[in-house]
Amino acid sequence: MNPELPAAAAEFGATATRVFTAAALGGVDAARRAEAEPAERGAQVAGALRALGVDDLDPRADDEALAAAAALCEERERVALPYPLDAVRDRVDRGRPFAVVPEAGGRVDHGELFEEWRVSTLAGPATVAAPKGGALGSRLGPFVSDLAPVGDEGGSARAEVDLHLALTAWWLLGVGARAVELAVDHVSTRVQFGKPLSAFQAVQFQLADATVAVAGLRELAGFTLWRLSGAPGQARADVLALRVHALDVVRAVLRTSQQLHGAAGVCDEYDISVLTRHAQPALRLPWSAERTAAELAAAIAAEGFEGLFPHGRAPG
Amino acid sequence: MDFDLGDDAARLRARLRDLIAAHIAEDYLGAFTDDPADLDVSQRFCRILAEEGLLTVAWPTEYGGAGGSVWDQTVVREEMWAHHEPRGAQYMGLNWVGPAIMAFGSEAQKARHLPAIAAGEVIWCQGFSEPDAGSDLAALSTRAVADGDGWRLTGQKIWTSYAGMAQWCVLAARVGNGTRHEGITMFLLPMDTEGITVRPIASMLGHHHLNEVFFDDVWAGPGSVLGEVGEGWAVIRRTLAHERVGIARYARCERLLSALGRELAPEWDRLPPAVHAQWARALVEVRVARLLAYRAVHAQDTGAPADVPASVARIAFTSCDQHVAELLFQALGHESLEAGPGAPLHGAVEDHWRYAQAATVASGTIEVQRMIVSKSLLGGRR
Repeated sequence: MNPELPAAAAEFGATATRVFTAAALGGVDAARRAEAEPAERGAQVAGALRALGVDDLDPRADDEALAAAAALCEERERVALPYPLDAVRDRVDRGRPFAVVPEAGGRVDHGELFEEWRVSTLAGPATVAAPKGGALGSRLGPFVSDLAPVGDEGGSARAEVDLHLALTAWWLLGVGARAVELAVDHVSTRVQFGKPLSAFQAVQFQLADATVAVAGLRELAGFTLWRLSGAPGQARADVLALRVHALDVVRAVLRTSQQLHGAAGVCDEYDISVLTRHAQPALRLPWSAERTAAELAAAIAAEGFEGLFPHGRAPG
Repeated sequence: MDFDLGDDAARLRARLRDLIAAHIAEDYLGAFTDDPADLDVSQRFCRILAEEGLLTVAWPTEYGGAGGSVWDQTVVREEMWAHHEPRGAQYMGLNWVGPAIMAFGSEAQKARHLPAIAAGEVIWCQGFSEPDAGSDLAALSTRAVADGDGWRLTGQKIWTSYAGMAQWCVLAARVGNGTRHEGITMFLLPMDTEGITVRPIASMLGHHHLNEVFFDDVWAGPGSVLGEVGEGWAVIRRTLAHERVGIARYARCERLLSALGRELAPEWDRLPPAVHAQWARALVEVRVARLLAYRAVHAQDTGAPADVPASVARIAFTSCDQHVAELLFQALGHESLEAGPGAPLHGAVEDHWRYAQAATVASGTIEVQRMIVSKSLLGGRR
């Protein structure tokens, strides 16, 4: 029993953080610049990722690579990096990026950055889709684009779907972890009624609950990687469980962090506001939490759920 | 990264389940139901566990234990709680009174108490909380005054589990006029000592769980102090470390969620889809609670600081206990009000809901756990 990520993966994540926060990208500033100049973001970020060795990182290669990809995803979203790192990394042989979509064609974040995508619904099969029109350009979905099916790739994408769902949950973990850090920084320095906000127990307890929630998500994210690497293609309920939990935790933690920031929580000069806005596509695509929970219940009923006691099958 | 507890743990789990299947009825709901026969079942089962060497799995071999790992202890904790703690009141003696005596007891205390605890022959209660010292235990005011070669104890304890059936009590009292941690001293006292009065407190938990205990000029002999006089706080801190993670509440939650599907098999599909989704989410919450408990055990295992991970785990699995209790009631509707062998899941759902109400209070409130977590988070920045 050892719940720690391999040291090499943790080290890779730390290197990624240094790259993402270095002057060229500037942490969350990269997201701010991308919103102002969307066309520039591809070249800007892709170069940094290439230097990091992301092109050579195949999470399907072995357990270490899978863990490194997970650590990379977490670090990516700590700064709301404006690039579909997960999709690009999931592509096969540097071909089309891959995404899970709610229905054929579908809607993906950063869709317009690539000419063609390989996409799959939960049930599959994989298809080829291309962006139609530009990005939504809205505050909550600045880079979200619609795709239209353009061809049939055939074949099941089950393992890819599971991997993609697990790794997007890892980047949601990055959002949650960063949101707690930002809240801690803010309440430690913001003085009201003559003392830092952090001196108030009402604030402390909210931070404690957010910390527990993120700690739980982190353990579940690690456990799910272990299940994925032990039984690729047979961990559907596990990845859906991780996704539904990530959605539940991160929505709540972002709300807490915004609230503790006061009015600053909705101001884009504060990172929490940009992080919250840019996390919305991952919280809604390919499905909402409720739809994911329904899919999870069906998956457990059909395939069971690892635990101390048997679950599923009988109820279904 | 590896979340497998290993072959030894798997074998231990299988052995415990075999013994439970052989000696504990499917509808057993613990030692403290309205049926006194359940208490006898627990006492018989403890003797069986003792004979099998499983009662003291976690104890060092020099004290007759199996020298089991923290993961073995985890398995025991999970299987016992999942199956309604068939050790009854014994877990207190095994999990922390025994280890406290090993760490701080005199040779005479060890010789007298450890074999009896290991054999499952003696029930202990713990005299900590007082009417004005609950979460703030250091505010306790029960007094110990030197009298010849012993002590005279006067004061009141409250919420004392098993006081009405215990033969022995480990009691925290204050020597001298100090405040807070100063002067707190631990005593080992036979419960039949003159001057001790136990008054049961009626509660939704059932019999034996909550009592008041009054100490009226109670004599404690020269060999009754555990550790050094005035050093009781260190005993409390050190010994509570043996049970940092606490009860494996997630294990019973998981067993009940598993059984719910079978219980409702024909009607399951007719339940509102929202209940199915809540059931799935509850399974996830239980998994998360278990993983957080394992994180705390891992910290203990590797010598890393375990206080904060243990508090994180406790917040998760005590909340989980209450969420699962409510989900089970949502699924069963009005039938959840029924108790006894004819009720859904032999009354286990009704029993679980009642017990869950105290989960976020017993052995340290969830608020105290939140204080520990936020202190670690904010450090000197509060």
